[in-house]
Amino acid sequence: MTSAPGMDFAHLHVASAYSTHYGVTLPAALAEQAAAQGASFLAITDRDGLYGAVKHVRACVAEGIRPGLGAELAVHDDECRALGRVVVLAHGHTNGRGYAALCRAVSAAHAVSDAQASSAAPSISRAQLADLAGLASLTVLLGPDSDVGLAVARRDNTDAAARLAHWQRALPADAVVLEIVCHLAESGTVGSVTPATRMLALAENANLPAVLSNAVRYGTPEEAVTADLADAARFLLPLAELETPQTNGQAWLKPAGAMRQVARMVVDAGLHDAGALERLLRHTEQLADRCSLDPEHDIGLGHPRMPEARIIGVTGDPVTELWRRATSGIADLYSASGSRAVEAAHAQLAHEMKTVEHLGFASYFLTVSRVADIIRGMGIRIQARGSGVGSVLNYALHTSSVDPISNGLLFERFLSPERQTLPDIDIDVESARRHDIYREVFRAFGSDRVSLMSMTNAYRGRGAVRDAGLALGLPDAQINVIAKQMWRFNARDFRRALEEKPELEALATEVRESQQLDLLVDLTAKLDRLPRHISVHPCGVILSDASLLDRTPVQASGMGLPMSQYDKHDMDPMGLIKLDILGVRMQSAMAHAVEEHHRLTGESIDLDRVPLDDPKTYELIRSTRTLGIFQIESPGQMELVGKLQPEVFNDLTVEISLFRPGPMKNNMPLKYLQARHGEVAPDYIHPRFEPILRETNGVVIFHEQVMRLFDELTGCGLGKADVFRRHLGKPEQLPQIEEYLREHALARGFSDKVIDQIWTVLAGFGSFGFAKAHGAAFALPTYQSAWLKTHHPAAFLSGLLTHDPGMWPKDLIVAEARVLGVPVLPLDVQSSALDYRVEDLADGSQGIRLALPELVGSTEAERARIARHQPFGSLQDFRDRVHPRRRTFEALARVGALDTFIGYDRTRRHELLAHIQSLRGTAVVIRADQLAFEVELPVPRYSGDRAGAITSLELRGRTQTDLELLDLNLAVGTHQMTRFHALFKELGVTPASELGNLPGGTEVLLAGVRRATNTPPMRGGRRVVFISLDDGTGPVANVVFFHDAQERVGGQVFQTNYMLVRGRTRRSGARGVSVTGENLWNLFDVARQVKERHAVERATAEEAASAAAYAAEVAAQAAAQSSPRTLGTLHHLGAAHSA
Amino acid sequence: MPNIIDAPVDVELSPDGDPLAFIWNRFEHTVIGQPQAVFKRTRWWENEGTPTRIDTELWRLDASRGGEEQHRYDLRRGTDGSWVLALDWG
Repeated sequence: MTSAPGMDFAHLHVASAYSTHYGVTLPAALAEQAAAQGASFLAITDRDGLYGAVKHVRACVAEGIRPGLGAELAVHDDECRALGRVVVLAHGHTNGRGYAALCRAVSAAHAVSDAQASSAAPSISRAQLADLAGLASLTVLLGPDSDVGLAVARRDNTDAAARLAHWQRALPADAVVLEIVCHLAESGTVGSVTPATRMLALAENANLPAVLSNAVRYGTPEEAVTADLADAARFLLPLAELETPQTNGQAWLKPAGAMRQVARMVVDAGLHDAGALERLLRHTEQLADRCSLDPEHDIGLGHPRMPEARIIGVTGDPVTELWRRATSGIADLYSASGSRAVEAAHAQLAHEMKTVEHLGFASYFLTVSRVADIIRGMGIRIQARGSGVGSVLNYALHTSSVDPISNGLLFERFLSPERQTLPDIDIDVESARRHDIYREVFRAFGSDRVSLMSMTNAYRGRGAVRDAGLALGLPDAQINVIAKQMWRFNARDFRRALEEKPELEALATEVRESQQLDLLVDLTAKLDRLPRHISVHPCGVILSDASLLDRTPVQASGMGLPMSQYDKHDMDPMGLIKLDILGVRMQSAMAHAVEEHHRLTGESIDLDRVPLDDPKTYELIRSTRTLGIFQIESPGQMELVGKLQPEVFNDLTVEISLFRPGPMKNNMPLKYLQARHGEVAPDYIHPRFEPILRETNGVVIFHEQVMRLFDELTGCGLGKADVFRRHLGKPEQLPQIEEYLREHALARGFSDKVIDQIWTVLAGFGSFGFAKAHGAAFALPTYQSAWLKTHHPAAFLSGLLTHDPGMWPKDLIVAEARVLGVPVLPLDVQSSALDYRVEDLADGSQGIRLALPELVGSTEAERARIARHQPFGSLQDFRDRVHPRRRTFEALARVGALDTFIGYDRTRRHELLAHIQSLRGTAVVIRADQLAFEVELPVPRYSGDRAGAITSLELRGRTQTDLELLDLNLAVGTHQMTRFHALFKELGVTPASELGNLPGGTEVLLAGVRRATNTPPMRGGRRVVFISLDDGTGPVANVVFFHDAQERVGGQVFQTNYMLVRGRTRRSGARGVSVTGENLWNLFDVARQVKERHAVERATAEEAASAAAYAAEVAAQAAAQSSPRTLGTLHHLGAAHSA
Repeated sequence: MPNIIDAPVDVELSPDGDPLAFIWNRFEHTVIGQPQAVFKRTRWWENEGTPTRIDTELWRLDASRGGEEQHRYDLRRGTDGSWVLALDWG
């Protein structure tokens, strides 16, 4: 394997970009560069982990070089004294023993730090490292950052030798190797030849091998700049203030010649024997040989490992067990639909089981179904999503709740002999219960078989510009202003965005004038896409057998449970089964609605058994009042729902599938709507395609349709058809697919003309479209939430307000509640709970009580005490049992939550507040269960002379809306736009609620507060900005700004929150209307101008009046002199006044 | 104190990449012994433009012209590969 000396250099110490804020080159780029330089080996040794390990191994396999893996770890001794940082390398060709020891060492380093304090850096004890290094599993490199290296740098050779001897005693023989690093820095600084040559001498004296490394941080010298930025970000200091900046830019992946030159300089700088140079290079090469890992046998790449049968409750053969459970599931689910349905389901099951058996995935299905059972057993709502929904097996096992047969879904979209990657089943659960589920899964499977998955967060625009700005030492305020504008474009394209985006024009001018900002633009681009930090993935749970911790290093996640250092891209190659258990707030919101309904009425609603054909539900959806309904509440979706007018469940599936980037770009919505509404006749091209395309009126929307078309045309089978479908997105594959299709379709009786036509459709489909399985899985909660909104609006809205599942702010949900006749009741310490609760009102209707957590600045403990001790007899009782902090006490009084103690007499609230503010006392710590006395603490009724003296000024001139916005961030009394309504009337602003009555093309003025901004994907690629305006009169008014209007309006389109808009109405379908925006003004500016104009007009009028008065006076004098006709003059005066 | 020269020179390199000799004022100066490369970092953020390197490459070496007494020199290599005789240490 080893090539000729001098041609090849094996880098043993390399940090990839996955050493966040340290390394800056991605593993694939490093492997490619190493291979291009003629290297046959490359190790990645990321800091504190194996974050880039799987990507590195795969990149090495792709480049045909041998991978090595290690980690740079901090080590401490038995007394917890730091021993610096060392590189731990796994030995290869040990049947995975070396790799397992490395994984365990990394996990151990994190376990220690996790146990101590979250702020402590990971570190492994030398004793533990010694244990793991046993059986010749690991090599430990002691380099410049180890305690030995640091002693050498201090020129303390005696200490260095003693420390080295300690390492040799502690670790197994042959496990210790010295690492020589020289970055050709100036003499006297870190990385110069002097410490390197002394380190080499130390190795010679101790008779230990020494290897040469370059402690690599980047691939090319150009990337040293990026490493400087990484240092600034790591230390949170500007570059100019860094205490230990990198000594120079030589930590790059040098080719063999350059490394040999370094070796020569190190050897020449000291007194070494003649063979020292060749010996150093030889030892390096020998260690690389020893650390070359076999991807399959050492790392287990490509070998799936399922949990052991007994763990998933199976005693016999998993396949037999799977058959048994699935068969009984089918009997349960299909027997109501008749024997033919049962037969069809059994036939489909047999078909699916053949594939499952063939691929050996029986345990996988049992594992997922076991997890689903656990979740259901906890009484938590669960809903499968993704291509797995297309499987009858998943439906029969109760993993999924959508019937794939009646919805026309395909198993082959999920799994087939042609699709060998591990299957992926996603499970949506109530978001509020997600952590409980994780803990239960860990308990049920055992923590040695389960781990959370991590995800790598990469730099995006704002983060990149902030860190680049920090490095340059720009003022925070300046960086903030720029960061706020880094919106919806890649930092990589910063310079181009500056040239193209109208709203960035001011910034572009600044950049042209400032050298520093110009540099900032380039530096921001350098950081873009680099890994920034890892965090726990929002839904990924890894399930495996007891060998899991030998195959993945783990560290504690924020929630305490262990998290793998590998991310979703690493799962399939590592044979790790990942289950997506995603917390969906809508599921929590619906669960809350069902609970509230049960609490108030005792009735239980089983949402999963609600009939899917309720006319009133579809009526509500068709009205486009879809705010709060899952998936179809965005402005664009409202518009599409209005045009599409869904009537049956499948229409919802179609609607949701159409509103996706792919279908939108491919203009599918328009084509479908035209055919649906009979504007064009459906074109099925050939009678044999009609059964496939009938459900979408001849438009190809679903992946499943493409697969069926391929199968019908060529007889290739659905599994292969799915492979073709996926390849449609790759232009280079198209000629081959076309050739295959033409040949087989001709033989199957299709004419050239038909083939030409259908091929145009298929090739145009590309990677667009959507899996119907996804669409159907989304459509179910869409329907369920619409059903709740239709039949139980108060309970449903209380769920929405509690769990905040959608895109709209709570103000708008409150406004929607008001429109639906469900008042949101103000905060009240007597009845507000920790969540939003439905209250039966005296008039027989229902209201929703504001929840305590909305009170800004209140603590969880205070709120819990309020909820626990309700109701309260008096203010004294409240104070004694709740013991609120002053701030909370006053805020409660201000918003009226204590009005109960003044008989709900709002006019007395200022007395109450003044009273509370006048109370003096010392701070006390109280226990949760402290007893209190029930005594009166009446609010004195101030009146008469003293009334003026005690009014709390805080309430003066403030409306209830002001107070609510201040302390709750949410106005429930009246809408915050109400104060502008007089202005709107004067300006002739059309209320949002009236918009639907106007014909298309009407010029209108709209005004309101911005509730949402969307830049949905658009055909043609030109950005379109949707702004949803709320003026308090009803649902939001959606304004669309096209490119020309954006140029006119500039940055205001994103920056102004209270606005007046001029535009024209645009009808969309029977019910929908939106406005094409032409211009936009800041509402406050407008209000000020109107006020100024009024002032001017008043002044003019007064001037005119006084002029008239003067004239009158003159006239009167004249008249007095001539004739007494004062009446007419007085009349004149009055007219001038009224003007 | 060294003399600041700052003159472009032609440098002859060994197969390993070390300077063997340089031509300054039409005279060839032959390198004696092992030259040492040193990379000195710059405070690039204080300069104009975005840098491609963060350090400058200097070679400190002893050389003599013909049989004359040897001097110590600093040669600087630019990112484009061109050489400048920076200092003559005497």
